[in-house]
Amino acid sequence: MVFAWTMVVIVLAFIACLFEDLESDEGSQSNPNSQVQLAPEMGYIHRYYNKAISGEGLSYALACTIAGTVAWAMLSKGITPVIAIPFGAGIGSLVHMIRATIPHLGRESAHKRFEQPIYLDVLFGHLVPIATHNFMAVVCITAIAYIQSPSGPLAAITGLPVAANNPFPLPLLCFIWGITVGAIGSSTGDIHYGTERLFQDRPFGEGRRVVYHGQICRYADCGIRTSKDVVAFCAKYGGPATGLTFGLIVLFENWRTLIGMMAGGLTGASLNPGVAAGVGIVIGLIIGAVLIVGNLYLVKWARKKFGPFVGE
Amino acid sequence: MDPIILVLILVSAIIGGILASLGVHLLPVGGAPAAMATATGVATGCVMLMTGSAVTGLFTASAVASFWEFEHANIALVALSGGVGAMLMIGWTMLIANLLYVFGAGIVPVSGRVAVDPITKESQTEYKTPRTDGHGMPNVSYISGMIGGFVGGFGGALIYVTLENFAHFSPATAGIVAIGIFIANAILAAYNIGGTIEGFHDPKFKERIAVGLFAAFVVSLLCGILVVVAVEIFPSLGLGGAL
Repeated sequence: MVFAWTMVVIVLAFIACLFEDLESDEGSQSNPNSQVQLAPEMGYIHRYYNKAISGEGLSYALACTIAGTVAWAMLSKGITPVIAIPFGAGIGSLVHMIRATIPHLGRESAHKRFEQPIYLDVLFGHLVPIATHNFMAVVCITAIAYIQSPSGPLAAITGLPVAANNPFPLPLLCFIWGITVGAIGSSTGDIHYGTERLFQDRPFGEGRRVVYHGQICRYADCGIRTSKDVVAFCAKYGGPATGLTFGLIVLFENWRTLIGMMAGGLTGASLNPGVAAGVGIVIGLIIGAVLIVGNLYLVKWARKKFGPFVGE
Repeated sequence: MDPIILVLILVSAIIGGILASLGVHLLPVGGAPAAMATATGVATGCVMLMTGSAVTGLFTASAVASFWEFEHANIALVALSGGVGAMLMIGWTMLIANLLYVFGAGIVPVSGRVAVDPITKESQTEYKTPRTDGHGMPNVSYISGMIGGFVGGFGGALIYVTLENFAHFSPATAGIVAIGIFIANAILAAYNIGGTIEGFHDPKFKERIAVGLFAAFVVSLLCGILVVVAVEIFPSLGLGGAL
């Protein structure tokens, strides 16, 4: 039963991080937004959404914690989780939408001196997709936190020598996973948006030189590009890869802890905590070693396949 | 409370804070330029990355600490669990980021600060795009990041388990205090780095690590004193209130 709930958590983690990355592309948040911000100064008037609320980790920690706190308050009043979790996530997304509106208007109006207009259709057209993508991420994170919290289904499993749930309360778990999901989305998914999609009219296969900065690609397959076109592109590789990152982290963190607990006697009358913790640590170190070897192989493969830099 | 326990809490806050700062200095952080493959490292800020990894470690550490139901948790095992958890978070993030650089943008991970990778002895310069500061996570940065994640996660989990064991904080209060001390140190380290860093092989690391660790010592000492005062004057704080 514990493994079954863990699998649910992993699937939710994948969906959460996928939508987190796509939401950050939809509104152009985080690191690549430096280019959208710089573009009007370079004479590149654009129709991208310009939403740099804060770093993604902090922004998602806030949205998820609001959602978790509302859900926790409703749960403590006896309301069913099926209503409490989406309602809390809805409140978190509404707050996120408000925070998405103000930075766009503020930043674009500050660019008036570079003749960058505020396109109202861009503003209104992006707000709902931002809120819906955010809702998907936040509702999954809140559900994960609920499953793992002392008030969730893992805590209700009886017959184990120790409780299967995490001791942290629901809002704190939302905060923890919110920061983590934001940090991962910012670290991985942004590369596909910042390196590839924003500079699609530049040569493929090289780092974006400093002289290109601000000179973003403004034309779509048909017409002028908006941030919505970015989402469709990044959903094919950057988003799923980001979701996979968080899914794998949650998978292996829970897996090694559970294997440790089984080695320590999870199914017996009592758990040997030293053995349980030790086995979990050893499995983690083995996974770490495999990751290093994986990176060695990947770098070696890329060097052989692509070869030294060719060009000016 | 017993003075020895108070000293233990203070010392663990200082050691945890210093390890957090050391961990941040070891991470390959490229910030905004890395998102455009203009700099080597992970495409986000030091504080966000380190906090993200440390709280993942803290999640595992808190679960491991709860194995010891009726006795004090083993400090070393809980802290090691936190360290390994943070290391895995950083490891997966850097690996998938490299996959995105290689398969999403066709870019070879190289260092911009050294001509030869100190670990694998692979040459870097001819693979680097001109007028960039490197791109992706070369092997030396990857290994440095894994060590940084481990050290930082170990520090965060150490503060957590000491507060839970000896100050008798509830898991929630101990977690929030540990995250607080951790973030203070991470922000200070980020200011010390001032932009991007590639890892222990970066000349910036040797230049700035001493100042960074001293600053971490000072701020952790202040945080530790605050915790000790809180434990001594307001013992009910440890109950964790409604949380």
